[in-house]
Amino acid sequence: MVTPDLVSEEDIAKLIIPDDLPDEGPTFKAYIEAKVYDKEGHLIQYHRQPMRSLTQYFLALMAIPIIGTYQNASTSQAQDLLVNVLGLPSQQSVNTEYTANIVWNWAIQLGSGTQTFSLTLNSLAAPILNGTGAGQLSYGSLGVSYGGSSIYISLQVTNATSSAVSVTEIGLQGTIYIIYFSGSSCTNTTYSFLLSYDTFSTPISVPAYGMAVFQITLSFAG
Amino acid sequence: MMIDKGIEDIDIRMPNDAYDTGKDVSTFNAYLVAVVRDYEGRVIKVHRQRSHSPTANFIGLLLPLQYYMNNSSGFTFKNASGSTRTYQPAVGCATPEITYPNNGRNFPTTLTMIQVGSGSQSNPFTAYVLAAPIANGSGAGQLIYGQPSVSSNITVSGSSAYFTISQTFNNNSGGTVTITEVGILTNTSFYSTNLGGGSNFGNVLVWYDVLSSPISIPNGGSVTIYFTFTVNP
Repeated sequence: MVTPDLVSEEDIAKLIIPDDLPDEGPTFKAYIEAKVYDKEGHLIQYHRQPMRSLTQYFLALMAIPIIGTYQNASTSQAQDLLVNVLGLPSQQSVNTEYTANIVWNWAIQLGSGTQTFSLTLNSLAAPILNGTGAGQLSYGSLGVSYGGSSIYISLQVTNATSSAVSVTEIGLQGTIYIIYFSGSSCTNTTYSFLLSYDTFSTPISVPAYGMAVFQITLSFAG
Repeated sequence: MMIDKGIEDIDIRMPNDAYDTGKDVSTFNAYLVAVVRDYEGRVIKVHRQRSHSPTANFIGLLLPLQYYMNNSSGFTFKNASGSTRTYQPAVGCATPEITYPNNGRNFPTTLTMIQVGSGSQSNPFTAYVLAAPIANGSGAGQLIYGQPSVSSNITVSGSSAYFTISQTFNNNSGGTVTITEVGILTNTSFYSTNLGGGSNFGNVLVWYDVLSSPISIPNGGSVTIYFTFTVNP
C-alpha cells in the first residue's frame, strides 16, 4: 500500500511529534518529593507530586550527551543549538594552545512565591535565601545518585529560626562551566539556567527548628 | 535540634506506587519516526513510535558535577569497541572533561551518526553497540549513510519545545534491506585542559531503540530517521 506522498518538510514536521500513538506511558517521568521533620526529628509530612515543567534549557542541556558540543568532527564550531539556546560561545578563543572543556552542575532552589511557567524562566519568583535569618533556610549539600536510568537529586534544609518557613516553589538550577587555560592557570566562564520550575500543589511548611528533605527524581525509564 | 534515630535514614527513593503511569503528567518525551521512500522518492511507509531508551552512557554523561564530587569512583563509560574509561570531571586544569570547541585545538565531541541495524537486544540500558549494525556501503545488506542533521535551535510551541536529529540512508544494495534497531552514536573526547592528557574515546552509544516493527527499505529507495526530543509535550 502506498501512502500519499508528502509534499513538503512541513508535512514531516507534523509527523515527528505524533499525537496518536498508543498510550504506552511517557518516556520520561519526574517527581518531586518532600519529607518534613519537626524539631525532634519526627516525620510530620510527606509530600509527593509529579514534576510538570521542564524549561528549554533542560532540553538543551540534555542534548549535549546526544549531539555533542562540536557541529562535526572537522570543524571547531559549537552546535548552533547550544549557542542559540544556552548562549554558549561558538568557540573558546582565549587560548589556542590548549583544549577547552565543558562540565555542568545542578542545584535545588526553594522559594516562597509563585509564577506562571514559561520555557525561558530563569529564576524562582521569590527564592528562599540560604541562612539563619527570618524566612531563610540553611541549605545542606546536594546529594546526587542514580539507579538504572533514574537520577535522584536531594537537598536537606534546616530551619534555624523560631518561625515556620513555607515553601511554595521549587526549581532545579544548572550551571555550565566552560574551562580553559589562560596565562598560567585554568579559568572558566559560567552560564546559569533554570532547568525546571514547579509550584507545590500544597505549600510545604518547615517548622521552627525543623528540617526537610526535598528530592527530585528524573526517570528516563520508558 | 534533637534528631531521633529514624531521621538518619533520609533515603527517599521514589515509592513504587508513584510509578503508576495513569497518574503521570509527562514532562519529556522522545519519538522515533522513519519515512521510507521508493526508488522514485514516493513515501511508501511512515513508521512512528515512542523512543524509550537512553543508555547507561547517556546517564553518565548527563550526571552533574556534584555526583562526581560525592563519588570518588567516577563513572565508567564503554565505547562501541568495548573499551572502557572512568570519567571523573572537576572544574580544574588537570582533570579530563568533555571537550568544547577551541579555535586552536580540535578534539571533537560530536554526533557521529544515527546507526541502523538488523538485530535486537533486550536490555537497551546496558547496550554499548547495536546487536547487528548495518554497514555503510552499497553491498548486499548494506545502506549508504547520509550525514546526520541537528536542529539549529529549539522549536517552541506554547509551553512545549523540541529539537530533532535526523539522517537519511539510501539503499543501493540491489535488494531489500530490513532494519530492526536504531541507535545514536556520539564521538566523545575527554581531555584535560592544560596537561594534554586524555584522548578521543571514540563512538559512544547514547540512545538505543528496537523498532516496534521491522522497516524494509526497497532497492533504490531510502529511509530517513527522525529522533525528536520534547519537553512538556
